[in-house]
Formats: sequence, C-alpha cells, structure tokens
Amino acid sequence: MNTTETLPDMNIYRENARRWLAEHMDQRPSSDASAESGLATEEFLKKKIATARALQRKLFDGGYSGITWAKEYGGQGLPLEYDVAFLEAAEHYVMPDFDTFNSTTFDVCVPVMLEHSSPEFLRSFIPKVLAGELLVCQFFSEPSAGSDLAGVRTRATRDGDQWVINGQKIWSTLAQFADWGMCLTRTNWDVPKHRGLTWFAVPCDSAGLTIRPIRQITGSPHFCEDFFDDVAVPDGYRIGEVNNGWTVTQSMLVRERGAARSADTMSPTGPGDLVPDLVAAARKAGQLADPVVRQKLARAHTNDYVSRALGFRIAQMTAQGDLNTGVAAYGKLFKGVYTPIRARIGVEIAGAGAMTWDPATPGADATALAYLNGRLISIAGGTNEMQRNGIGERVLGLPREPSFDTSKPFNEVLLDSAHWNGKD
Amino acid sequence: MDLERTNDQELLRDTAVKFIKETGDPVTVRALSTTTTGMPEKYLQRTADLGWYAMLVPEAFGGGSVSGEGLRDLAIVAEERGRALQPGPFVPMNVVATALARRGTDAQRDEVLASIVAGETLATWAVVGTSGVWEPGAVRATATEGGFLLSGTCGAVQDAVCAEWLLVTAGTPVWPARVSASTAGMSGGPTQFLVPASATGVEATALEGLDLTQRFGTVSFRDVFVPPSSVVGEVGGAAEDVEHQLQIALVLSVSEAIGAMDALFEMTRTYSIDRIAFGRPIGSFQGVKYQLADMSLAVQAGMAIATAATRAVQAGQPDAGEVASMAKAWVGDAAIDIAQGCFQVFGGIGFTWEHDSHLYLRRLTMGSVLFGSPDWHRERICQLHDIEVRS
Ligand SMILES: Cc1cc2nc3c(=O)[nH]c(=O)nc-3n(C[C@H](O)[C@H](O)[C@H](O)COP(=O)(O)OP(=O)(O)OC[C@H]3O[C@@H](n4cnc5c(N)ncnc54)[C@H](O)[C@@H]3O)c2cc1C
Repeated sequence: MNTTETLPDMNIYRENARRWLAEHMDQRPSSDASAESGLATEEFLKKKIATARALQRKLFDGGYSGITWAKEYGGQGLPLEYDVAFLEAAEHYVMPDFDTFNSTTFDVCVPVMLEHSSPEFLRSFIPKVLAGELLVCQFFSEPSAGSDLAGVRTRATRDGDQWVINGQKIWSTLAQFADWGMCLTRTNWDVPKHRGLTWFAVPCDSAGLTIRPIRQITGSPHFCEDFFDDVAVPDGYRIGEVNNGWTVTQSMLVRERGAARSADTMSPTGPGDLVPDLVAAARKAGQLADPVVRQKLARAHTNDYVSRALGFRIAQMTAQGDLNTGVAAYGKLFKGVYTPIRARIGVEIAGAGAMTWDPATPGADATALAYLNGRLISIAGGTNEMQRNGIGERVLGLPREPSFDTSKPFNEVLLDSAHWNGKD
Repeated sequence: MDLERTNDQELLRDTAVKFIKETGDPVTVRALSTTTTGMPEKYLQRTADLGWYAMLVPEAFGGGSVSGEGLRDLAIVAEERGRALQPGPFVPMNVVATALARRGTDAQRDEVLASIVAGETLATWAVVGTSGVWEPGAVRATATEGGFLLSGTCGAVQDAVCAEWLLVTAGTPVWPARVSASTAGMSGGPTQFLVPASATGVEATALEGLDLTQRFGTVSFRDVFVPPSSVVGEVGGAAEDVEHQLQIALVLSVSEAIGAMDALFEMTRTYSIDRIAFGRPIGSFQGVKYQLADMSLAVQAGMAIATAATRAVQAGQPDAGEVASMAKAWVGDAAIDIAQGCFQVFGGIGFTWEHDSHLYLRRLTMGSVLFGSPDWHRERICQLHDIEVRS
C-alpha cells in the first residue's frame, strides 16, 4: 500500500460499492439458496467455474477484485477494512463462487505466491488471477506423502535456467479445471527432509503433465492424480528460495488452516435461522416435536454458531499478531470434529426416508451427500490429528513427539523406513 | 475473554486479580468451605469497593463502569472470579441490582439498590422451583386486602440464609375480580417482588451441595404479606424483566465458567509437562497431547461463544437471549468435559481431597446446571425459533 496516497473516505467507498453492486450484480434469490444440491458432476463443476470466471471479470473491471492486494499487481492496495466493507455490501448479491478454488487459489496459493514469488512473475500473473483468468490448484500431496508433506518425492532437477520435474501428485482438488498448480518438489536428497524442498508454479498445460480425475466417495470427480514426466518450468516460476521450501510451506499451512480471511474479521452476525436444512428434514420425517430431535437441532445450530464465533476469535488473534499455525489449527479442528457430527445428526433426524430417494426429485439426496462429504474437512488440508499435533506442540508448548526422520538425510530416511524398529 | 479490551478494562482486570490473590485464592476458598457464608471477612464490602455490584447500575443511582459497557466490564471480573473459584453472591447481586436499576421504585433504589452497590446488604434472586428447573412461578402471588400474599418454595437460591433481600418471581395466575383498579390489566404473567428476608412467613434453609465454593438454600414463603410498594416493575408484566435478568445471569455464569475452565486447563497443561513417566513428560505422549489439544479447543471455542453472548446482551440485540442460551448450552457441556478430562491427566493425585481439581469439577458442574442445564437451553433455543412443540 502506498502510504503517501490518501485513502478513500469509508462512507463514500461503501456508498459507491453499494451503487456499483446494484448496477452490475444480481441479487441473491431470497428463497432457500441451498438449492445447490445433487452430485457435483464434471458438467456441473465446469459450468459453475465458468460462471464464476465471468462474475470475477466483472468485479475486476469494476475495481472490486483484490481490494487489499498491491496496486502494482492489479489490486486496489487498500487496507482490510475496505475489503470487509465491500463484503458486507455484497452480502445479498451473487458473488463469484469458484467452488474449492475459493480457498485453494484465493486464500492459499496466490497469497503465498505474493509473499514468496519474484516481482516479475507476480506482475504478469496476479492481474490474470484477479480477472478470473487463472485458477491455481494445489500439487502438494503425493501417494507417499500427505500429512508428512515434507516427505514428498517429486524431484526437480536444475537444467540451465529451467527445472525439470518428475513424479506424481494426488488428491489435487479440481486440478482438471485449473490453469496452474502450486507444486512442492525435492531438490536436494542428501540433506534432512525439511531442507531440500523447493516450490514451483506450474502451468497445467505443460508438456509432460497428465491430469486424471479421481472419483470421490460420492462419485463426484472432485480431485485428480497428476503425473509429471519431464515437465520443464523456467526458474522464474520458482516460489521462494531453492531448498528453502519449508519456510514457504509454513506460510501456506497457516493460510490453509483458514487464518487471515477478510470474511472472518467481520464480527459474526446473529445466529440466523435454526439449521434450516435439518429443520426441513425433521419436518419431513414428522419428528419436529420429538424432544430428542429438538436437542439435536439446537446442538447443530449452536455448534454452527460457535464455529463462526471461533473463526472471528482466530481472526482477532491473527490481527493482534498471533499468526501461528497452531492458533489457526483451532478453527480447522473445530470444523473437522463438528462437521461429521452435524452430518450424522442429519442422518439421525431424517432417518431411513432420506437414505433412499427418487432420482426425479431434486435435492432429495442432500442428507446422504452431506453425510458422505461430512468427513472431508477432517482430512483435507491437514487431518484432525495434525491439527492436534500443532495445537499441542506449538500453542500449548507440550514436548514434541520423538522423531526419527528430521535429522538424517532424506535418502537414508527412505532406506531406513523399510525396516524401522523404533530405535533410530 | 474478549480479545478487544480497553486499557481501563485491563486495569479493571489487574485490580480484580490482585484483590483475589490477596484475599480469596483457592486455598482460602477451601478453608472457607465449611463456614456458613463461605466468604472471607467483609468480602461484600471489599468487592463493592472494586465496583463489582455497580457496573450494571447507572451513575445516577450510584453505579458506573469503566467502559460505559457495564456487562462487558463485569464479564471480565466474572472470568477472574471463576479462575480462582471466588465465593459469594456475585451473579445474584448483579441480577438484583440491574432489576432495581431498570424497574425499581425510587424507594427501592434509595433503600436497597444503594446498599447493594455499596456491598452493605446481601440481595439474592429467587426464581426457580425446588427441583431447580427454570420455571418462574414456583411461588404464587394472590391479591389480598392492601397487598399480596406469596406462597411457595424456591430452590437453588444462592446465599439464601445470609440474604437480607429477595427478588422473588411469582406466578400470578388467578386474579380475583374484586381486586382494585391498581391491579387492573394484569395479564397473568409473572410479577416480581422485592421482599425483606425478615418478613413474616419467609423461611430460608441452608443446603449442602456438590459445589463447596458457593452456598445455596431453599426459601419458602408461607402466606407472606407484601404491600404493593414491594412490586418491581408491572404486576403480571415481569416476563421481559425476568428474561433480561436471565440473560445477565447467563453471561456472568458462563464467564465464570470460562475462567474456571481456563485455570483448570492451565494447571493440567503444566502438570503434563512436569510429570515424568517412561522417561518423558506425559504431555509428550500423543494420547495425552490429544486430550489436551481437544480441551484447549473447548476453552477457545467457549471463550468465543461467551464473548459473542456478552456482546449480544450488552447491545440488547434481538437475538441476545438465543446467543446467551447457546453460550450456556455449549459452555455447560464443555465445562464438564474439561473438568472430567483434566482428572484423567492428573492420574491418582487428582482424585484426592487435597488436590484442587475436584473443587473445579464441583463448581463447573454446578454452573453447568444452574440457570438452566444445557438441555434446557437447547429446548429454549428451539422455542425461541417458534419450532412448534406439536407438529
Ligand atoms: C477431499 C480432499 C481434497 C484434497 N485436496 C487436496 C489438494 O487439493 N491438494 C493436495 O495436495 N492434497 C489434497 N488432499 C490431500 C490431503 O491433504 C491429505 O489426504 C491429508 O493431508 C492426509 O494425508 P494422507 O491422505 O496421505 O493420509 P496419511 O498422512 O497417510 O494419514 C493417515 C492417518 O494417519 C494419521 N497420521 C499421520 N501422521 C500422523 C502423526 N504424525 N500423528 C498422528 N496421526 C498421524 C492421519 O491423521 C490419518 O488419520 C485432499 C484430500 C481430500 C480428502
């Protein structure tokens, strides 16, 4: 942000935003907008993302994209309050919804790039992101490295002023629709695992990169496996220093756990309607007067609101300078623990009637789909156990688990793990 | 605790902490656990000097708070009280103070409110039946010549035996037609009375209880005559007042619980680092670490919802009652989870009389069920949303 420039008057900014929204964007239908149900098929996702790109373009042209991002990269260079003000004004409008790219691109990958990529790269890359032209997926996990992200085996080798990448990534959400991926590789195998990592931004249409959708438990092709065969990327696409990838990873993890989102810094509004989806299910099942069911409704409703209040608290901690992966882990763990509980409550209330459905009735499979998807957040983006490790060791200061792989060269770790005996 | 605090609020907190350290830490509280009042000498006056009963009272009536948002200030004090398991009628005194400040007559304010603020009298809140279930109307008022007759019994009355004043909530179900014009228009809702404990027919009985740090009793009313001047607010129209008092009580008791949970958790965390087994601190074992991580999540989430409730009630938001009930329900469950979870980490030592963990378990459990259990509040949340009882 350029401090010599005076900031726009907040009231005028708010008023202009309201006027612009009214002119350019559509109001959200007031009826139950949770009508987006049914299986997320390839077709459905494609259409959803295309719609979002078009809306994002409108925001960009109107000057409401990247409100807090630097001007030199196409952002507006304004303080957080302006972003919050715009979000508040936009509450009742249809905003671009990029599905999981909302978080992977806008909350995680691109903010990390802004911190660690070269200015030349950012100058051409970021404006396209803000215009909705570039969506970034996460090439982090591998078949042999998920929780143990520092244990990746995808290899990047230097070749003049470019790098050649070989290996395999997996579980990359929506990679089949992505334009770029943020990829973690190993660039030195002779040092301990945290010290030989390097990140790259990789175009998804690179020669040698094959992206194949994988069907999830619901049947939706929502993530992919990705094969890297001699994929060449220029050194200018590197994110952060060579072999210093762990530093970049740490700032990635804070964001992945959900800290530092403008929306969270808004003081939570009231709790709103009592869990409408569950009340509808209870009504349909004729169980609304049942005291046990009522307990469950209120429990789900309360947990939902506590989760929002906790998000606000974490945003406050972050704003006060506590940008700690452990603190961010509280919000992630809360969701990881309570989302499956909520999904289960749905099944308990709706009963057998909701476990079978007429395919001709739209949304009739909602309870079942929510039940299957309920586990997602307990695993994706770091399992509940990893959050507990983080809270225990980073926030509570409990002594670390003894580790057997952090001080010896990664090459040796790979050899030794095959016959690990708990001694070294 | 609310993470947004002014310097004055920090000072308020420091002063409370200092006072508690000097007068009433858990060691002292334990020693007091067998006495009638459960309080150190002159506790009411000394805490009144710190403004503990003044913050919900406007300056015009001798009150005042450091930030102008009295409930948020008071919640800070409540949390520190909970941390050190402070005794005394902190919640009921403030409830009565707010009731009189909002709805009391001039005479009630002059005679009683001023002495509450000064800590010169002990006033308490009698609102639930002997089963402890939250139903105003355990006491009934009937109109009589020149006043009312109260009869019935209240349970879970804090400091029942030492109280000099009782704010009684009475159901007023039947109103004989002969009652004068002064009682016309009575809707049949509850009526609140400020009754001296010395009135004929009032009898307070001390009870023993799970919680060793606070005193509770029953108060029975046998045809207690009270003049119309003892009514607080409108005859038959106290429903909203009781709701407001409940919200205040919920915010303060939840804040006390949060303080107690945080203190107990901190003791347990420290122990898990100091205690060695199998050649390592027990906190290094994942099985123990995960219990602590989950408990610490419950403390943080509890603080988040307690803050939301405090702010909602302070601002008088339309959904304040619901948010307060959410806080009470969530924290009420979490308090017991933490109290029991900490036992597990302490091992055998935690199961001894000398160890403080049972004092916390007792206080937190009482707090969980007092002013409505988590289940009661969940049902209330459904009713606040007009979810019909019969479908
Ligand atoms: C829906 C979904 C979307 C995803 N999207 C992406 C994406 O876009 N990009 C991407 O790169 N990845 C993605 N992932 C992958 C995700 O990050 C990993 O699945 C996750 O980190 C767990 O890794 P893993 O699957 O290898 O399980 P593992 O690490 O093998 O874990 C298996 C079990 O062991 C436990 N465990 C492992 N280590 C420890 C330890 N030290 N202490 C205690 N318990 C431990 C875990 O908690 C878990 O219960 C996605 C996953 C899902 C389910």
